[in-house]
Amino acid sequence: MRRALLPAAALVALAACQGPQSALDPAGPQALHLFNLGAFLWITASVVFVLVMAALALALTHARRRAAPDVSEAGEGRARRIVTGAVGVTLAILLVFLVVSYLTGRAYAVTPEGGRPLQVSVVGHQWWWEVVYSDSVQSRSLSTANEIHVPVGRTVILKMTSHDVIHSFWVPNLAGKKDLIPGYSTTTWFRADHPGVYRGVCAEFCGYQHALMGLLVIAEPPAQFARWYDAQLADAMPPTDTVASTGKNVFMGAHGCVLCHTVRGTDAGGRVGPDLTHLASRHTLAAATIPNTRGWLGGWVMDPQGIKPGAHMPPNDMRPDELQALLTYLQSLR
Amino acid sequence: MSPRRHASIDVSGLPDITYGHRNLVWWGTVAFMVIEGTTLAMCAATYLYLRRNFAMLPPARIPVPGVGLATLEVALMLASFLPVALLSRAAGRKDLPACRLWMLAAIAFNLAFVALRWFELADLHVRWDLNAYGSSAWLVLIVHGTLLAAEVGELAVFSLIAWTGRWEEKHFPDASDLAMYWYFMCLAWLPLYAMVFLLPRVM
Amino acid sequence: MATIENEVVGPVPDDAAALAQLERSWHEPGGLWGWLITVDHKRIGKRYITTAMTFFLLAGLEALAMRVQLARPQNGFLDPDKYNQFFTMHGTTMMFLFAVPVMTAWGLYLVPQMIGTRNLAFPRLNAYGYWVYLIGGLFIYVQFFLNTGTDVGWFAYVPLAGPQFSPGKRVDTWAQMVTFTEIAALIGAVELIVTIFKQRAPGMSLNRMPLYVWSMLVVAFMIVFAMPAVAVASTFLLAMDRLVGTQFFNPAEGGDPLLWQHMFWFFGHPEVYIIFIPGLGFVSSIITTFSRRPVFGYVPMVLSLIATGFIGFGLWVHHMFATPIPQLGQSFFTAASTMISIPSGVQIFCWIATLWLGTPRFRTPLLYALGFIFIFVIGGLTGVMIASVPYDLQVHDTYFIVAHFHYVLIGGGVFPLLGAITYWFPKVTGRMTSERLGKIGFALLFTGVNVTFFPMHFLGLMGMTRRVYTYLPSQGWGGLNLLSTVGAFIIAAGVVVFLVNLVSSLRFGAPAGPDPWGADTLEWALPSPPPPWGHARIPIVQGRAALWSMTPDRPVVTGLDETRREVLVTTVMDADPDNRQESPGPTPVPFLCALATGFLLILLVFTFQAVWIGAIPLGLALFAWAWPRHPEKAWKLERRASP
Repeated sequence: MRRALLPAAALVALAACQGPQSALDPAGPQALHLFNLGAFLWITASVVFVLVMAALALALTHARRRAAPDVSEAGEGRARRIVTGAVGVTLAILLVFLVVSYLTGRAYAVTPEGGRPLQVSVVGHQWWWEVVYSDSVQSRSLSTANEIHVPVGRTVILKMTSHDVIHSFWVPNLAGKKDLIPGYSTTTWFRADHPGVYRGVCAEFCGYQHALMGLLVIAEPPAQFARWYDAQLADAMPPTDTVASTGKNVFMGAHGCVLCHTVRGTDAGGRVGPDLTHLASRHTLAAATIPNTRGWLGGWVMDPQGIKPGAHMPPNDMRPDELQALLTYLQSLR
Repeated sequence: MSPRRHASIDVSGLPDITYGHRNLVWWGTVAFMVIEGTTLAMCAATYLYLRRNFAMLPPARIPVPGVGLATLEVALMLASFLPVALLSRAAGRKDLPACRLWMLAAIAFNLAFVALRWFELADLHVRWDLNAYGSSAWLVLIVHGTLLAAEVGELAVFSLIAWTGRWEEKHFPDASDLAMYWYFMCLAWLPLYAMVFLLPRVM
Repeated sequence: MATIENEVVGPVPDDAAALAQLERSWHEPGGLWGWLITVDHKRIGKRYITTAMTFFLLAGLEALAMRVQLARPQNGFLDPDKYNQFFTMHGTTMMFLFAVPVMTAWGLYLVPQMIGTRNLAFPRLNAYGYWVYLIGGLFIYVQFFLNTGTDVGWFAYVPLAGPQFSPGKRVDTWAQMVTFTEIAALIGAVELIVTIFKQRAPGMSLNRMPLYVWSMLVVAFMIVFAMPAVAVASTFLLAMDRLVGTQFFNPAEGGDPLLWQHMFWFFGHPEVYIIFIPGLGFVSSIITTFSRRPVFGYVPMVLSLIATGFIGFGLWVHHMFATPIPQLGQSFFTAASTMISIPSGVQIFCWIATLWLGTPRFRTPLLYALGFIFIFVIGGLTGVMIASVPYDLQVHDTYFIVAHFHYVLIGGGVFPLLGAITYWFPKVTGRMTSERLGKIGFALLFTGVNVTFFPMHFLGLMGMTRRVYTYLPSQGWGGLNLLSTVGAFIIAAGVVVFLVNLVSSLRFGAPAGPDPWGADTLEWALPSPPPPWGHARIPIVQGRAALWSMTPDRPVVTGLDETRREVLVTTVMDADPDNRQESPGPTPVPFLCALATGFLLILLVFTFQAVWIGAIPLGLALFAWAWPRHPEKAWKLERRASP
């Protein structure tokens, strides 16, 4: 019973550390490589630590019984042999470590063969993610924001850059991180082997709202992904009722939404902020910070600074009826 | 430890003015050289690193740097080694009038370097704020130019000390350190000159 | 040339008369004026250490504020702007204003005493260096207290720190503070190198130098080669991009944000070894004294220090593993980052061997040394883990890294420092500290550090990135963050106890004689506190453990001119007496020079014209520095060839 306690405790601890943004809960081959490497490293490091501390404790308890310091040749000789041995063992462990690290690195870097990889480009902005699915057929290229849908089991290659400052793309459940640097195009890949919603974050300090610059990677069965993709390709549906129509007028009107946002199929073509064509289809708002509900959307539109101080979206004070119409319109953008 | 018995060591016979590595100030001068040399190396590294961002050197539509004045400066630098070597010798034999003379010659050369450096900036045919090539070329010229300008100041003070009767024996080793620094100041410029003025012609 | 072999056997001249002369020539002026004009390395060292410790406390308060903000998700204690200023100031203060200065300052204070000389090689330069440091630190803190503190991290990555994304003068102030502190660090380095090479007491050949002196020598060389990189990066490149429109970091004009990273980390990685290697020196001193035997393996210890210093320059790309640097290049840095743990390992094993062969006395300084081993080994092990490129790709820029570097910096830097302060306090002040308070402080700090930082390893693996002012409740990080914050307050309590111990001991501590610990290095032969001239007679060193190997006749150097300030200059390898040099006395010129430097550099934050405008007062101050003050020594033209 007692012998099972330690691994059981470890498993419990591990479970507590899992979640949708955790490197300890791998959902794809790369994260799995790194998880295994991590396990090897932690175990090795723990063993080494225990050995060194044991040596220290042993040295101290042994020395306490001494009447006078040992400066004899014999003592020095023994110490020399022990220290040399310890250094030798250290060297051996480090060499093993280097080999394991190198092999893992090689496995990590090699894009898997077979299957047509999905090509996605990501552009980092302060403080949101522009996502573009490129296709050999231009009309099937798709632009969205803060949410990347991928089919389960298919390799996704990300080509990334930044529009302003350095950001870093990190979805811990799927892979290690890669920086987005203005003037550079960086590449990374991952494959989601299990369906699920995985949260990613920006991992390079990029200003006021670095902390809340999240994104979602949603892995779904290929058929579901294809349906999502086709739906996203369509232009925005025109409003079907008067409230939504009024809302669209508010959107196109004096508050200046069109200066920053695009809604395909309308005159709104701004590129400063995220593409809103299918806003209502997203799970979250404001770079995976708040849920995509009517209430939160209203709060975000009226007072983005209250939710994300420093964000580039200005406050939009408007009459309640204007707001409600606008929200109805935005929620129709499925 | 051998059980030799020591008593005291009497150092009253040791000199109190020494030259070269026996003198603390020499070490300070060498330290300056190492620090400034490392700094210049970093500036050169900047220039070479940023080169990669351009298809060619100099970048398109920017003319090659004019090499006339810069080469003249290099020639003058090499020529200046003679009076400076003579300064060093004069300092070694504690000949104040000779030191005065050769320091004046050095100032003349130094002023020429500074003036030429000023005009070499225009010879780069690019502003510091146009692109990274311009910025790094100006960086190299100006950071090294600061050494030249500071040296004028040092020589001026030394000459003033020499001509106003305030020169002490300890200034002779200082003058020979100045010569050592002069060689560094000029020799450090040679690879930088080659990098900024000659490399674009060769690439 | 007098050598050890040219023994002059005979009575040592009258000590009382010599002391009276030393009193006169090395007299320290009193009052505020004396405080401004002193060039005594001990007075300057003490104020340097005190200033650095003050910055340590400020940085600690900044950390506490950060921990309060992060204790709960979406806390409202610090808004993003404030938080960004706080975390930037915490890192900047710790790295630039505390860690390197305090280590340098201890060297400037201790090394001359430990090698048996009277003052540093360039006393006025030392004074100037301190004032420049102080002005730089005050400058950035004034800005911080005006709520326009720099807010781009202590590492100030571009383009975020560039003119387009950080308008105003926040970053320029930071960049200039770096200039101030880098000047001070370089000055400290030059002092240490020249003093150690040329002013060691006769008989203290290089292979008899205390390990602490070796560590400061290695550190000084590292400073010389590392600082210019950050100087060029911050002063020339970043400041000029912001001030006069250069394009070093603008990709649209051929500039490159990665250039900043390369330059900064080329400095930044050696920087952490500059902080940690003096700590190794402290630990060697403490373990020697409290085991009552010299550290086992002197030669491997020295070689390890040197190897660490060298290899430390070959690691910097490990801060950039997530950038598009080619994989082959990255692998080199993995190998180097792994190999550097070997010399550190050698040292740890040698210390353990020393403790084993010795008779340990568990006084507070030794507790800090043992705490160092525990905490630093943890940090070192996580360091090897992140040397692996793939593993680093998960944990880079997360709280795992925060945990790692706090373990190595606190374990490798702060703990040895606190042990050193406790250990040398009797020498500096003439009083012993309280053992009880010392042990309580240690226990609080040891506990607090582990409670604060160990959970952060897991937070990082669970997805918590660095430099975030808040996090969402749904992430599940609240519990561990709260635990960390509790730990931070335990650390604070430990610091308070440590400080109370120091302050109360100044008044009520038991009087300490010259050598309360029974130590082996030369400073313990001096009175506590030491007089301005240091050793009344320069001792002749006969072994590695200078005091333990000194023969009863205590041989000394005679013949130094005591009617003026004079130091003995010896040879580099064997420390044979070579010549005597006059040492400058008190003067206000270094202070004035620092004011002029401060004026130029501060004005340069606002306008490039400061280069001409500021050059004038600086030129005048330098002129005053160089102008000879002794007309009676003027060289007569009738004299000919050298003697």
